[in-house]
Amino acid sequence: MKLSEFSTCSELESLLPAYAESSLPTAEAERVVAHLPGCPACQQQLRELRALSADFDAALPEVPGTALRHNFMAMLEQQKQQLKPEAAFGGPAAPVAEQPAAKVISMWPTALASNWVRIAASIVLVAAGVFLGRQLPWSSQPGNTVATTAPATGQAAPATLAAALSGDSGHAVSASSRIALVTNSTKTAEPDDATVQVLLNTLNFDPNPNVRLAACEALYRLRDAPGVREGLANSLPIQTDPNVQIALIDMVVSLRVHRAVPQLQRLAKRPDALPVVRAQAEAGIGKLI
Amino acid sequence: MPEKYSHPAVTIGTGPGTPCIPTPITLSVEPTSDEALMTAVRADHLDQLVPLFERYHGPLFNYLTRLTNDRETGEDLTQTVFERILKYRSSYQPTQPFKAWVYQMARNVHADHWHRLQKQRADDVDEVERTGGLRTAAFSQQRTSSSHDDLHEALALLPAPQREILVLHRFQGFSYDEIGQLLSCTAEAARVKAHRALQALRKIYFA
Repeated sequence: MKLSEFSTCSELESLLPAYAESSLPTAEAERVVAHLPGCPACQQQLRELRALSADFDAALPEVPGTALRHNFMAMLEQQKQQLKPEAAFGGPAAPVAEQPAAKVISMWPTALASNWVRIAASIVLVAAGVFLGRQLPWSSQPGNTVATTAPATGQAAPATLAAALSGDSGHAVSASSRIALVTNSTKTAEPDDATVQVLLNTLNFDPNPNVRLAACEALYRLRDAPGVREGLANSLPIQTDPNVQIALIDMVVSLRVHRAVPQLQRLAKRPDALPVVRAQAEAGIGKLI
Repeated sequence: MPEKYSHPAVTIGTGPGTPCIPTPITLSVEPTSDEALMTAVRADHLDQLVPLFERYHGPLFNYLTRLTNDRETGEDLTQTVFERILKYRSSYQPTQPFKAWVYQMARNVHADHWHRLQKQRADDVDEVERTGGLRTAAFSQQRTSSSHDDLHEALALLPAPQREILVLHRFQGFSYDEIGQLLSCTAEAARVKAHRALQALRKIYFA
């Protein structure tokens, strides 16, 4: 009995504001009326709601200072001055006048078949796109385009990879080429310590955040190699780009790198980090501890 | 050339009821409706903004002051709203209610301000807003009854979305339909939110 009464009261709490402003449907209003006499708590609530409503009605609006009107007039005057020289702006007046009557009238005859023609055309377009995508050479060999722009392909040895990444061999390497190099570096059969080292260097010091992200992902693929976990943890305080920060946090959490906890704690308190990054770090600590 | 183009705008401005007012039929009967005025403003007859300013600057100032808990910010943001009305006047569609349009703009102005504030103080903005509300409640002008101050102080303690909905409904005279449109939810959802906000306020107010 007690329990059911309590649930009615809490149920009533959501109805009482509507009841107080007499906007409750009759059926529900009757339930309130039936409940009220026996329930001092709900009576009290209703009294409070009515008092609150009366205070709302009696509240005076804030009166803005005179500066507001003054500033507005000054702004309007300035805008009018700006408008004068370029009176061509008056142009929109004419199109505006026609707007309510404006109606979209199709240039094509609304024949029954026209919709089918459109659908057929879109299917042909999509099919052509798929066909071209399969036939053209770039989809089958991802490394090819890089080979033409960068001196080393994906299967390069770590030393060549490092040289290619830093552009030592003569000319600077574009960010997209660096991303391709980094991505391909993990596709070799046996990635070694040197590859890990190059990737960690890229992760920590490449000027482009997208390249750093690619390095981050490449390292994740090499997660079982020695030094990767530690390197990821140590990179946390170095990163400043929020995307890289969040990717790193996700990785140390999913790899369960417990030694990253102090770094996460520091990151969660860094004033220059975005709130979302700090929240992510905070959540990461929770999962790791 | 410029003479030729400025002419239609003048015609519209001098007689808001003239047939060239491109408002829907129902509105063009009422010569000084908000929509007719704004349509004239849109057609570069900027003086027509003055009556709109007279009608709306008070409510907008109240709305923004309540949202920010600060009179000075309220004034600044109100000014910004009118600046944006002028700047984006060509985006006004004569078929849409001016009130809905201008309040949507005011919401955006407030949101921009809020984001700026958040960037400025990387610390917990909620905390600033809450405690700031208590302190800045003291700014408000002297009132005949102190209970109004209590009401505003309690309002200032509500989370911003709840405060906004109560301010719209109780101070700005918005119907639940209009609130629903502004917040992109149904009228029924707006009503439920408003009632929840009222209950939350009651608990603060009578605590």
